[in-house]
Amino acid sequence: MKKRLIKLLPAVMVFIIAAAVAVIGIIYYNFISLRIYEDSTDHLQEIYGQVNRSFGAFVERNWGLLGEWGDFFAAQNDPSTRDAEISSYIAEKRDYWGFSEFCFLSEDSCMTSNGTIIPGGLEKTRTELLSENKPVMSGESGDGQDQTVFAAPVERGEYRGFGYFAVAISYNNADMASSLKVDAFSGKAKCFVVHSSGEVLLSTQAGGNVFENYLTYLGGASDLDDRELADISQDWATGAQGLKQCEIGGESQCILYQPIGYRDYILLSVVPQSAVSAGFLSVQKITVYVLVTIFLLISAAAITAVILRARKQSHKNRTELIYREKMFDVLSISVDDIFVMIDAESHTVDYISPNTERLLGIPIQDARKDIRALGRCAVSRDFVVPKDELEKIPLNGNSSWECEYVHQSTGERRWYKMTIYHMTLQGVRKYISVMSDRTREQQMNQKLQEALNAAQSANEAKSNFLSNMSHDIRTPMNAIVGFSVLLEKDADRPEKVREYTKKIAASSQHLLSLINDVLDMSKIESGKTSLNVDCFSLPRLLEEIGIIIMPQAKAKKQDFRINLQGNPPERLIGDKLRLNQILINLLSNAVKYTQDGGKIDFNIAELPNQSRQYSTLRFTVKDNGIGMSEEFQKKVFAPFSREINSVTNKIQGTGLGMAITKNLVDLMGGIIGVESKTGEGSVFTVELTFAVPEDEGQEAWFGGKVSKMLIADDEEDICRSVEELMEDVGVEVSFVTDGDAAVEEAVRAHDSGSGYNVILLDWKMPGTDGVAAAKKIRERIGADVPILVLTSYDWSDIEDEAREAGISAFMPKPFFVSTFREALKPLFEPYSEEKEPEAEPEESPMKGLHFLVAEDNELNAEIITEMIEMEGATCETAVNGLEAAEMFEKSEKGRFDLILMDVQMPVMNGYDATKRIRASSHPDAAKIPIAAMTANTFAEDVRDALASGMNGHLAKPIDMKAMRELIGRLMRPEISDKETENEA
Amino acid sequence: MKLKAILLAAVFSLAALASSCSGGSKGTTLTVMGKKSDLEKNYMTRIFELYEKKTGNNLKIIAFEDSEFEIKAAEKFKNGEKPDIFMHFHNSDLDLFDVENDFYMLNDEAWTEDLTESADAYCRDKSGNLLGLPFWENSVSGCYYNKTLLKSLGLKPAATQAEFDVLCQALCDSGCEPICWPGGGCSWMAQFGLDPVFADDPELLESLNSGEISYKDIPEVADMLRWISEAAEKGWLGSDYLDCGWSDISGKMASGESAMTFIWDTWFYTDFEQNGKYTVDDFALMPVFLNTAESGTYEGGNLNMMMVCKGGERLEEALDFLDFCATPENYNAAFDGISTVSCFKGQTTNIQSKMVTDAADSIAEHERVSTAASRIVGYSAEDVLKAINDLLRHKTDIDGCIAELDEYRLSEAAKNLSSN
Repeated sequence: MKKRLIKLLPAVMVFIIAAAVAVIGIIYYNFISLRIYEDSTDHLQEIYGQVNRSFGAFVERNWGLLGEWGDFFAAQNDPSTRDAEISSYIAEKRDYWGFSEFCFLSEDSCMTSNGTIIPGGLEKTRTELLSENKPVMSGESGDGQDQTVFAAPVERGEYRGFGYFAVAISYNNADMASSLKVDAFSGKAKCFVVHSSGEVLLSTQAGGNVFENYLTYLGGASDLDDRELADISQDWATGAQGLKQCEIGGESQCILYQPIGYRDYILLSVVPQSAVSAGFLSVQKITVYVLVTIFLLISAAAITAVILRARKQSHKNRTELIYREKMFDVLSISVDDIFVMIDAESHTVDYISPNTERLLGIPIQDARKDIRALGRCAVSRDFVVPKDELEKIPLNGNSSWECEYVHQSTGERRWYKMTIYHMTLQGVRKYISVMSDRTREQQMNQKLQEALNAAQSANEAKSNFLSNMSHDIRTPMNAIVGFSVLLEKDADRPEKVREYTKKIAASSQHLLSLINDVLDMSKIESGKTSLNVDCFSLPRLLEEIGIIIMPQAKAKKQDFRINLQGNPPERLIGDKLRLNQILINLLSNAVKYTQDGGKIDFNIAELPNQSRQYSTLRFTVKDNGIGMSEEFQKKVFAPFSREINSVTNKIQGTGLGMAITKNLVDLMGGIIGVESKTGEGSVFTVELTFAVPEDEGQEAWFGGKVSKMLIADDEEDICRSVEELMEDVGVEVSFVTDGDAAVEEAVRAHDSGSGYNVILLDWKMPGTDGVAAAKKIRERIGADVPILVLTSYDWSDIEDEAREAGISAFMPKPFFVSTFREALKPLFEPYSEEKEPEAEPEESPMKGLHFLVAEDNELNAEIITEMIEMEGATCETAVNGLEAAEMFEKSEKGRFDLILMDVQMPVMNGYDATKRIRASSHPDAAKIPIAAMTANTFAEDVRDALASGMNGHLAKPIDMKAMRELIGRLMRPEISDKETENEA
Repeated sequence: MKLKAILLAAVFSLAALASSCSGGSKGTTLTVMGKKSDLEKNYMTRIFELYEKKTGNNLKIIAFEDSEFEIKAAEKFKNGEKPDIFMHFHNSDLDLFDVENDFYMLNDEAWTEDLTESADAYCRDKSGNLLGLPFWENSVSGCYYNKTLLKSLGLKPAATQAEFDVLCQALCDSGCEPICWPGGGCSWMAQFGLDPVFADDPELLESLNSGEISYKDIPEVADMLRWISEAAEKGWLGSDYLDCGWSDISGKMASGESAMTFIWDTWFYTDFEQNGKYTVDDFALMPVFLNTAESGTYEGGNLNMMMVCKGGERLEEALDFLDFCATPENYNAAFDGISTVSCFKGQTTNIQSKMVTDAADSIAEHERVSTAASRIVGYSAEDVLKAINDLLRHKTDIDGCIAELDEYRLSEAAKNLSSN
C-alpha cells in the first residue's frame, strides 16, 4: 500500500499543481475579465461620447446653416437676381458642405434647387414642420435611398415662382453613416440614430438598413425581457443614457445609448461584447496563453522527464526481464525441472519452460495453447490439478503432488514432484507450478530396491545353496565316511574292499564334480572364464556327446535321438570344450528330469546365414519329462536355482548347471531359451554362431571305388540329406524307405550289372529292420558290397548279431560325410592304416624319479607321498615354498627330477618359490620341471603358474592318471616345451 | 382619352368583322396542338369556344399528355403532321424544333403593339423575331415577404443584396425562418438567380448554348451557389430546406414560420392557405436576391404562346385565329376574373394582385424575362435542384456542383438532339 502511494506520488503532485494552477488561472481570468469589461465599457462610452458630440455638432451646424440661409434668402430682394443668387448660393454651399439636395418646402410639395417640383415630396418633414414650426430632422426615402433631412422654417418667400415657408437640406444616409462610423471594435460596431420610439433614422449597419424600429427588433431578436425593454424605452423617452448587455443571434452585445441632444433622438451603438473587449481580451488571452504555455511547457518538461525516467526504468526492467527470461529459458533447457505459470482465473498458460517438449514429448505450442495437453502423458492422473483443488491452495501458500509421466515420443517414464504456488503478481492471481524432476531419485530408488531384492534373492539363493550344498556334500561324504568305516571293518575281505573302494571313489567323484561346478560358476561370475577357440569336428563332438549321453539314457530306457537337419559344416571354429559342456549340461538335465522310458530329441539345425564364413547352429534339446512351472522358467538360468518338488528333491544337483550353461552361451555370443510346461516336458534352444574354416578341398573317394550307393531309412528327410551330401562329393545316391525295398533295389542293381558300391541301412525301420535286410542282401548278392548300419542307438548289444548278418560296419547318426568316410576307410583301404603294435602293459612314467614336494598340508603331503611311492618313485617334502626353495638350492645337481609345488602356502607361496628356484644358481635351476599342484584350477591359475616359471599344472584333488600324463610329458623335454608354448 | 379608346375598339371590331366575313375561313377547321393540361385551362377553353361561336370555324384540339408532349409533338413535326396552331412554353429555346422553318414569324402582326413589354420579350427568339402570341396567365416571380411579420420584428424589406443578407440574419436572430426554400420538390428558385446573368448578357447565353463556355466559366453561377450554400449553413433557409416541398410552402408562409419565399403572385390565389394566421394582404413583394444581382431581380411570367406553323394550307386562317385571340374583347372575355399579370396592355378584366401593383416601380426596374429556364438549351430545373441539393448535402463542393450542372445540361441537350 505504501509502495503504491509512493508510486502514485508524482501523479498526485502533478494533479495538485495542475489543479492549483487551474484555480489560480480561473480567478485570474475572472479578475482580468471584470477589469477588462469595465475598461472596455468605459472605452466604448468614451468613443461613442465623442461620436455623439460630433454628430450633435453636425446637427447644430445644419441648424446654423439653415438659419443663415433663411436670412440670406430673405435678404435677396431684387427679383431679377434673386433666383440666380439663391441658386448660386445653394450650389456653393452644397459643394462646401456636401449635402445631397436642397429643397424649398411648401405646404403640399417641395422644389429642388434645380427647380424640380415634387408634389408631396418630403411629406414627413413638411408635416413635422407645419405641426411644430421649428427645425426638424427626419428620415425620408426617395429614389431607393434613405435620406436624413434637416429642415427649418424660414421667412416665407418664393423661388422660381415656388412659394415656400421652409427650406431643407438632405443627406444620403450612406453618407451620413460614415460620420457615425467607428473604426474601433474591429469594424463590428453598429451605430444608429433612432427616435425614442425606436424608429431608426440612420444606420451604419453594414449592407444597409433593414431595421425599421430597433426597439421592436430588440424585443424579438434579443434576450432582453419586457422589463429591460421597458427600462430602455423609458431611458430613451427621458433622454437618459445607458449601457445594456444582451444576446442577439447567440452573440453577446453591448448596447450603449445616449441622447443626441436634439429632440428625442438617441445615438444607439450596438457592439459585440467580443469586439468591445477584443483588444483587452487579446492581451488577456496572450497573458493567459503565455502563462498556460509556460505551465504546459514546464508540465511537458516535467512529464517528459518523468516519462523518460519511467521509460528508462521500464527499458531497464524490460531488458532485465528479457535477460532473466532468456537465462531462465537457457537454465530450464539445461535442467530437467519444468516451470509453468497459469492465470488463476482463466487457467491460460502465461509461461511454460521450453524444456517441456524435451522432457515430456509434448509440443510446446500444444502446452501453451492448453495446459491440459500435458495430461496426455500423465500416467495416473491429469497434469492439470482440478480447479477445486487449486482453489484450495491458500493465497501465498503451496501444495505438492507426486506425478509420473511417460515421454510421448520415447516412452521414457519420468517422475516429478509438482509444487503449485498460489500467489499474486501485479495484482493478478497466478498459479506457479514447479515440476521438480525426481526421475533419477526414482530410478535410483528402483535400482536400490532391485539391488535389495537381488541381494535378498541372492542371499536366499545362497542360503538355499548352502542348504543344498550341505545336503549334496554330506550325501557323498556320508558314503565316503560310511564306506571308510566299513572298509576298516571288512579290510580282510578283498571283494568288500574293492566294492567299498569303488563306492568311495564314486562318491568322491560326485563330490568333486560338485566342487568343480561351484568353482566353475564362481569363475564365470567373476568374469575369469576365457574361451579356447580352435577348429573342431562337429560330427566328432556329437559322437562324443552321444557316447556320454546314450548310456545315461539307456540306463533310464529313454528314447534318445540325435537329429541333424540340413547340412551344417562338419568343421567349425570355436571352443569345443565349452560347447560340449553346454550340450552335456542340457542333455544331462533332459535325461535327469525325464522319467524312465521317456523321449529325448537332440536336434541340430543350421540356420540361414548370409556369410559362408560363418555358420549359425541351433541346438534343440527336447524332452517329455517333468517340465517346469512358468515361474521357475523365469529363473531357470539364475544360479543356485532348483525347482522344489517331489521329483527334483530326489535328484542331485547344485542348481548351477543352467546358470553355467547360460553364462557360457552368453560368453560365446549366443542365445539360449526355454519353453516348458509342467508335466509335458521342456525344450531348450541354443543358437551359436561359429566361424567355418576354409574348405580343404575335395578328396577323391577311394579312387572311384565308391561312386554309387544305396541308402534305406524310413525317414525320407535323412535319405535326401544323405543324397545331397554325397552328391556333393561325387557319389550317386539312391534311397528307399524300408528294408524290403532296400533288398529289392540292391538285388535289382546287382543283377543288372550296375550294383551299388556301398549300402547304408537304418537299423530300426518298420518291417524289415536294417540287420535283417542286410542279411537278405548278403544272401542274394554275396559279401562283396560293404553294408553299413546307420543308427542313433547304442549298437553294442547287437553288434555280434549284425556282424554275423553281414554288416560291415556301424555308423552313428547323424550322418556326416566325414564320419561316413572314416567308417568306409577300413573297408576300401584295409592296408592304408598302420596298425599299431599291441601295447604292452604301460609302465608309470614316474617310476624311479625323485620328487621334491612342497605341501603345507600334512595330510595332502602324506597322500601325495603315498601316491608317488605307489608309482615307484620317491620324494622329499617341504612345508612351505621357502623351505622347498632352500632344499633345492642346497641339493646337489640332479638330486631332484621334478618339483611338485603347492601354490598357497605359508611363509612363501609356490609362485615366489618357483621364481626363486629359477633364479638360483643351482645347476638344475633352469631345467628342472616344476609342476603346480593346487586347488586353484582356473585357466588364469594355469597361466600364472607358467608365468612364474613352472612347467605344468596339476589340479587338486590329484587324479592319478592326470599326474602320470603330466609327469610323463614333463619328463620328455621336447613335449614339455611344446605343452608350455601351447598353454602359454 | 375616352374618344381614343372608342376609336381603338371600333378599329378592332371592324377588323374582327372583316375577318369573320372573309368567306375563305368560314367553316374552316384549324388544328391546335398542345399539352393536354394547358389546353384544358378555362381561359383557353373560353377562347376556343368563343372563336368557334363567333367565326363558325372549328378547332380540332390535338392534346398530348404532359410527360410525352415534347417528344410526340416533335415527331409530328418531323413527320410533316404540323398543326395550324402550336402551343409551347418556349422552353429550351424550342431546340426540338426547326424554329425558322416550322414557325411563322409574327413581327408584323397588328396586335404586337398591344403586348406588354415583358410578354413581348418573352415571345421573341434570340434574333428578336416574335414567335407567338402570349396567351397565358402571367405572373411576377420574386421574393414575397410577410410585411406584417417584418414590421412586428422591427424590420423592413431589403433593397440590395447586402440588405437582404442583413435582413435574413435579423430574421434569424428574431427566431424566424427567413426564407422558405422548398428544395424537397420545387425547382424554380435557382432560375431566378440565373435570369439576370443571361438576360442582361444575351451573348453569354449564346456562348453557353453554343458550347463555347460552360457554367464554370460564369462566376455568377458560383456566386449564386456559394450564397445558397452559406445561407443554408447560416440557417437562412430554415432547417428543412431539403425536405420542404410544394405543399409545405403555404403552411409555412401562412403561419408566419417563414418570413419570405421565392414564388409568383398568382400562387397566392391558387395555392396559398387563406385561413392561416397571415393572409395575402400581409404579403408584399421585393426582388429575389441570390447574389447574382445587387439590386435583386424579378422574373417575368413563363408564358404559353400560340404559334402559327409554316407551310400549312390554313396559314391565313391561323393568323386570323391569333388576331381573334389578341382582340381585347376576346382576351378580356377569356381572362375575365383570372388572377394574372397582364400580357396585353388592354387587359382589364383580369385580377392583378396588390403585391404586384405596389411593387410596380421596383418590378419595372428589376424584372427580367424568364431566361434561364426557357433559353438555356438543356436546362432542366429538376436537374439543377438535384445538383444544388447535392451541394447542400455536402456530397460535393461548389466546383463539383457546377460540374454536375454542366453535365446535366449537356446530357439533356444531347438527349434532345438525339430525339430530334
